[in-house]
Amino acid sequence: MNTTKKESLAAYGFLAPALLLLGLFLVIPALLAIYYAFTDYYLLTPDKRQFVGLANFIEIFKDTIFLQSLKNIVVFVLCVIPVQVGAALGLALLINKQRRGNIFFKVAFFAPVVLSLVVISVLWLYLLNPSEGLINSLLVNIGFDAQPFLSSPKQAMYTIVFVSAWQGAGYQMLIFLAGLQNIPGTVYEAAKIDGVSKWQNFIYITMPLLKPTSILIMITTLIGAFKLIIQPMVMTQGGPMNSTITPVYYIYQTGFSDRLIGYSSAMTVLFGIVIAIVTLIQSKVTKEENI
Amino acid sequence: MSKHGRKIVEYVFLIFLACIFVFPLVWMIVSSMKPEASIYLDMNSIKALLPSYNPSEWFQTYKALFSRFNVLQYVWNSVFYAAIVTIGSIIVNGMAGYAFAKFQFRGKKFLFGLLLVLLIVPAETIIITQFTVAHGIGVLNTRLAVVLPMMASMFFIYLFRNFFMAVPDEIIESVKLDGANQWTIFWRIMLPMSKPAIATVGTLSFIASWNDYLWPLMVLTDTSKFPLQVAITNINTTEPVYTNQVMAILTVSTIPLIIVYIIAQKYILQGLGGSGTGIK
Amino acid sequence: MKPDDIYSFCKQLHYPRWGGTIKMRKIWISVVCAIITSLIIAGCSQKGSSNDDAVSVWVHTSNETPEGKAMQKIIDQFNEKYKGEYEAKIEFIPRSGSGGGYEDKINAALTTNTLPDVLTLDGPNTAAYAEAGMIAPIDEYLTNKDDLLPSIIQQGTYDGKMYAVGYSESGVGVFYNKQMLKDAGVDLTTLPTVENPWDWNQFIDLNEKLVKKFDRPVIDMGFNDKSEWLMYAFTPFLWSQGGNIVSEDGATANGVFNNENAVKTMTFIQDMIKKGYSTISPVDKGFNTGEYALKFGGSWTIAEMEEYPDVEYGIMPYPTSPDTNKLVSPSGSWQYAMSATSDKKEAAGTLIDFMTSTESLTEITLANSVLPAAYSVIEEVKDKVSDEMNILIEQNAASAHARPVLPEYPQVSRIFQQTVSDVTYYEENANIQTLLDDKVTQIDKVLK
Repeated sequence: MNTTKKESLAAYGFLAPALLLLGLFLVIPALLAIYYAFTDYYLLTPDKRQFVGLANFIEIFKDTIFLQSLKNIVVFVLCVIPVQVGAALGLALLINKQRRGNIFFKVAFFAPVVLSLVVISVLWLYLLNPSEGLINSLLVNIGFDAQPFLSSPKQAMYTIVFVSAWQGAGYQMLIFLAGLQNIPGTVYEAAKIDGVSKWQNFIYITMPLLKPTSILIMITTLIGAFKLIIQPMVMTQGGPMNSTITPVYYIYQTGFSDRLIGYSSAMTVLFGIVIAIVTLIQSKVTKEENI
Repeated sequence: MSKHGRKIVEYVFLIFLACIFVFPLVWMIVSSMKPEASIYLDMNSIKALLPSYNPSEWFQTYKALFSRFNVLQYVWNSVFYAAIVTIGSIIVNGMAGYAFAKFQFRGKKFLFGLLLVLLIVPAETIIITQFTVAHGIGVLNTRLAVVLPMMASMFFIYLFRNFFMAVPDEIIESVKLDGANQWTIFWRIMLPMSKPAIATVGTLSFIASWNDYLWPLMVLTDTSKFPLQVAITNINTTEPVYTNQVMAILTVSTIPLIIVYIIAQKYILQGLGGSGTGIK
Repeated sequence: MKPDDIYSFCKQLHYPRWGGTIKMRKIWISVVCAIITSLIIAGCSQKGSSNDDAVSVWVHTSNETPEGKAMQKIIDQFNEKYKGEYEAKIEFIPRSGSGGGYEDKINAALTTNTLPDVLTLDGPNTAAYAEAGMIAPIDEYLTNKDDLLPSIIQQGTYDGKMYAVGYSESGVGVFYNKQMLKDAGVDLTTLPTVENPWDWNQFIDLNEKLVKKFDRPVIDMGFNDKSEWLMYAFTPFLWSQGGNIVSEDGATANGVFNNENAVKTMTFIQDMIKKGYSTISPVDKGFNTGEYALKFGGSWTIAEMEEYPDVEYGIMPYPTSPDTNKLVSPSGSWQYAMSATSDKKEAAGTLIDFMTSTESLTEITLANSVLPAAYSVIEEVKDKVSDEMNILIEQNAASAHARPVLPEYPQVSRIFQQTVSDVTYYEENANIQTLLDDKVTQIDKVLK
């Protein structure tokens, strides 16, 4: 008994700094936000704040824009996960080889991650311009029609999927790389001796050994995708015709522009529950044994 | 196809792929090296990816920029904040990851699950309440306020935990038998063995801190303490806005990140001594 | 690397004969701890100098901008003049494009009761701040109200009292490429002036001629501008037609934003896209590079055009409604205000009055290349600015109309902007009356 107690103490000793920081800067603010969800907090009159129970939540169910944003984010998540994670894994596998000039490719694939969104949105807006953009010029040359991309309610969200995947792939690629490096070379050597093909290598050795990393990436990419705000904010401002508004963007707008903190906090709580449920389902499906 | 031919195809494909990812970076750097009007006039031709034909014009933008704004001070501030956050992040998250990986203790599962749930909270929605906390503990307008919230992250704790779990228990047991305590084990065995994790967490922490704009603006009032991102927003909104100057400051801001990444990725891929890991 | 190798490698680290390693690590740890400790000490001791008697001023720009520098100069002049009596201390808080950053800081300060004595705020925020009791009326402190432009007074007045005073103005004109117009056969001497503006029909005729010549969109109206632009630049059309967004008392939009004036205005806007004169996705800097013959621009465009000397341009006033022929143009700027919780109202009031004197206003107008906020300032700068600038000044003084003064401005503005954006999708929104009826329901929900 004594050793377990000692171990517990030591464990909490190691956890202390992280717990303190997370508690102060994540838990307490989050709890405050949950509290605000049940009030009519108007940003400019903090003293006149009053408890209103579930009134905000009832409003939310009547809010067509919030419901639209839920639809939009589902489309986004379903599309971006396979594209972005697939691209990240592909890039990681490509780079995970010794070759001359590999460093150039590593920097190139990671570049969009560190680039400011100012640069990225200016450029993509230019490239995707319905009449003058480079991409449309190429399409027309090949024989297709020019596409409206971001200025079409039907295409805008898919365009954002593409730009987001392009921008974020390098980030997950890095995590995949770290995971790939964690696989001991001896395993591959042994397989080589057995005469295993490259494809079988991938399916039966790499994928399973990459599982903890993959699951981490899937879950964090999923959560990150649900929280989409920057691209629609900068590139389309939720339009055209609310086709690209996302829940977090709408929450931010309602809270900071419209100053309705109570209502916005209620949406945060509701949406947080949605994400939690989806994440739980996803981890159950992939049978995460490590948690 | 011959092995040589296959290799060429591979390289061509990779270069094509790389171009798709790297062209904005090239455009940004190149746009900072030409006069303002050229940026827009060159847009639809290959000239968009080339700097001005006149080398004397290459650094004019930078000269103008540095005389208009006190860039170096902001760069120094950003470097300072990012360094502190990176070191702090590695230590704090590493310690927590170690606890979850190698200790059995009361409430372990519950705590872990609870912290994972916190990943859901979007940062943008709690920024005002975070400010209230910072004000409450009296650290407003200090450099400390800028770095503290960024140090602990469940994502990095999870990464460290995974890496530490891969360290065989026998090693820890045998070193314990020699009289080492937990702290020593952490510093001189766990950390050195997880260079990939350190490099990954370090790079991502550095980038996150370097790109942070809203929080430093909220908690700081002394302009002398502002990081580079604030300067960037400044330059982007101070009329007249010269696109080439914006690109110049963005280049100044992005190059350090690339450098950090280049240094770090070597360690990410070196692994345990770099001899027999991964596919060759 | 086999587990045994790792094990022996680590054991070597531990043994005393690698004493150097242990010592180095111990030193390294203590150094890191020392750094962190000193940071904490430094952090706690540095509270920023606080001279409690000084009037604190927060401004939304950095001290490296011309605006910021001008403000610093004005503060210094104030401190000179009132030496021994009052002292002002200014803090620079740069903001991002849409007021973010600075406004977030104000909101945060509000929740912790640490607002400054004097602050700057964007025009549309007047009603919200006033209604929430954040800022105090300043009528009694202003000595030059008659000199201020009517739009400035309009912008800063809520519920009959003046709460904030703008220190500059802004406006929009129709920039035209002289060469391109000539090529299309337009006689430049027949172009409208502030005294004799054109109405929408004459304006459309000009666009027709240009489209016939160039066979592509000819005017950049900023339909893709994601900032406040769609509200700022397009409401004058509605006002010229005699329409409005909400009723006089701000209670409802029904019967106002969906009456025939609103329909006529939105039809005009829709036609600009439908008939191909303008585009919903103009090319960036298209006017500057000679792509478009016309552009809605402001004083910032004048500064931009200096980089593009090949384009010779002029400026026309806003087109007016054919039914009223009334010239209405955009207006808007940042203002000074006093916080209601300030304990130095006398000092703050004197400071605000000083900062809106002719000298101070002239300082800012010239430094920032913006439009003047008062008649006396117009006199001062008339000869110091370009002809194009003078046209904008003239139009502004004669016709500027402040944006609606409503506490719910952010939501109402967004709905208006969405209306303008929606009508440009003319296939999906062919029936403007239905669209406006729907928007009216949304606005009324917000106003309740």
